[in-house]
Amino acid sequence: MGRPLIHRSPMPGLGLSMGITLTMLSIVVLLPIGALLLKGATFGLGNMWDVVNSERTWAALFLSFRLSLFAALFNLVFGVMLAWVLVRYRFPGRRLLDAAVDLPFALPTAVAGIALTALYAPNGAFGQLAAEIGWRIAYTQYGIFLALVFVGLPFVTRTVQPVIEEIEREVEEASATLGASRAYTIRRVILPMLTPAALTGFALSLARAVGEYGSVIFIAGNIPLVTEIAPLLIVIQLEEFDYDSAAAIGIAMLVISFAMLLAINLIQVWSRRRIGYV
Amino acid sequence: MSDATATTRFRSATEETPLTRWLLVGLGAAGMALLVFAPLIAVFAEALADGWLAAVESLGNRDARSAIQLTLTIAAISVPLNAAFGIAAAWFITKFDFRGKAFLITLIDLPFSVSPVVAGLCIVLMFGTNSLVGGWLVANGYPIVFALPGIVLATMFVTFPFVARELIPVMIEQGRAEEEAALTLGASGWRTFWTVTLPNIRWALLYGVLLCNARAMGEFGAVAVVSGKIRGQTATMPITIEMLYNEYLSVAAFSMAAVLTVLALVTLLLKTALELRHADQLAATHRH
Repeated sequence: MGRPLIHRSPMPGLGLSMGITLTMLSIVVLLPIGALLLKGATFGLGNMWDVVNSERTWAALFLSFRLSLFAALFNLVFGVMLAWVLVRYRFPGRRLLDAAVDLPFALPTAVAGIALTALYAPNGAFGQLAAEIGWRIAYTQYGIFLALVFVGLPFVTRTVQPVIEEIEREVEEASATLGASRAYTIRRVILPMLTPAALTGFALSLARAVGEYGSVIFIAGNIPLVTEIAPLLIVIQLEEFDYDSAAAIGIAMLVISFAMLLAINLIQVWSRRRIGYV
Repeated sequence: MSDATATTRFRSATEETPLTRWLLVGLGAAGMALLVFAPLIAVFAEALADGWLAAVESLGNRDARSAIQLTLTIAAISVPLNAAFGIAAAWFITKFDFRGKAFLITLIDLPFSVSPVVAGLCIVLMFGTNSLVGGWLVANGYPIVFALPGIVLATMFVTFPFVARELIPVMIEQGRAEEEAALTLGASGWRTFWTVTLPNIRWALLYGVLLCNARAMGEFGAVAVVSGKIRGQTATMPITIEMLYNEYLSVAAFSMAAVLTVLALVTLLLKTALELRHADQLAATHRH
């Protein structure tokens, strides 16, 4: 104790920079989130539970979180593989592939949504092929999965890439000279080094997928209980001016996302402790 | 990399077999083709389905022009504001020592873990007609929700951390010594900022602004909630794409989408160029 709140510093601009930071943070982020929580508080915990406890809301929340988890898991595996390929291998078109990884960040979600739908709808280029083997992609949960994979694609690759670049070849050589096969080295030496960064990417990808709206609603079909995601349910409640129900679902989503992120953080702390910082 | 002869005859112990390598490259390329390249081509193919003329014509009508204008206006307001915030926050966080710094950074990052739809909902609940603040503002003739200020606020919410996140790691790495030297030599605070700090962070700032702008122009979920979707007034480009698409005006929807796609490609190009030329001055290229 006795530590001052703000240490004295010869640097200028303390008042100005602190003022701008706290004022804008409050107006743009904190007060609006406070308004959501206040709405929930005045609506009451019991009433909120009644909204969330309906069959339709449960189905939407379960769908959103389940498919987001699957999409983030896919992105975890694919992202680590892609990062490995981009850093370690040299092949024609590598630069292009590397730059394209960021496209889902730059492309507006509504554009991604209609483009994926055009491709994977039953009359689209890939949708027709899938239809021949009796597989419907757009307007089913597969379509939602596809859109969520798209929006979360860059996260794992971009967090893992710098870590792979920093791995010392000597470590792999040491493992090889001690008689480990290549597969064993990858499994026991390289993958553990990538785990913390991969988990960070996984968490970011998951958080993004859970809240995703723009790319999903076009390809989802939006059938209640089947392909209706939680954010869409909020939009529907808002269009009926039912702010209480919208706030209840919004708070439920916030609580579940934070619980998931907290769990991932704990796993990360545990894996860092086990493996050490790399 | 070892030379080609070594990889064919005697594979280095730190490399996979050529078969594994080509399999992994193939899988990565195939995944990217299905998920990223194909949709990219699809946007332009659908836009040009009825030829160039139809595509260009669909962008010329009054509603399309007003959507483009609105999106540009929103970006012109929200991106500079977020850049100013990012600079102020990075300065505050990296030049001073205070309690609760980690907590403040967490709060700045908060919008990344909030669904854009929930972000829009928060803005509606804060500034909507039924709220305390919003009701007062509407009574005095300043509607926020279903108008430009609401869309700007929603856009700022979802893009809030972009510039700050980019600047903070760079400014931590650069330390305070150069600013301290300038101050000791008698430069004023502002002069130190303009002549010492800003040149050091300009590429990182540009990088953050670039990403912020791409997201600001493309934001859909948060804006969909607060805009009210009034054609010709509060319909941004992404919202217009949705409305056209739902009216089965495919060429018009994809033409507007193609404009935003070109913007995304330009953003990527500039971003890649920045990463190649100024990697040492960016946080993204050595972030964990």
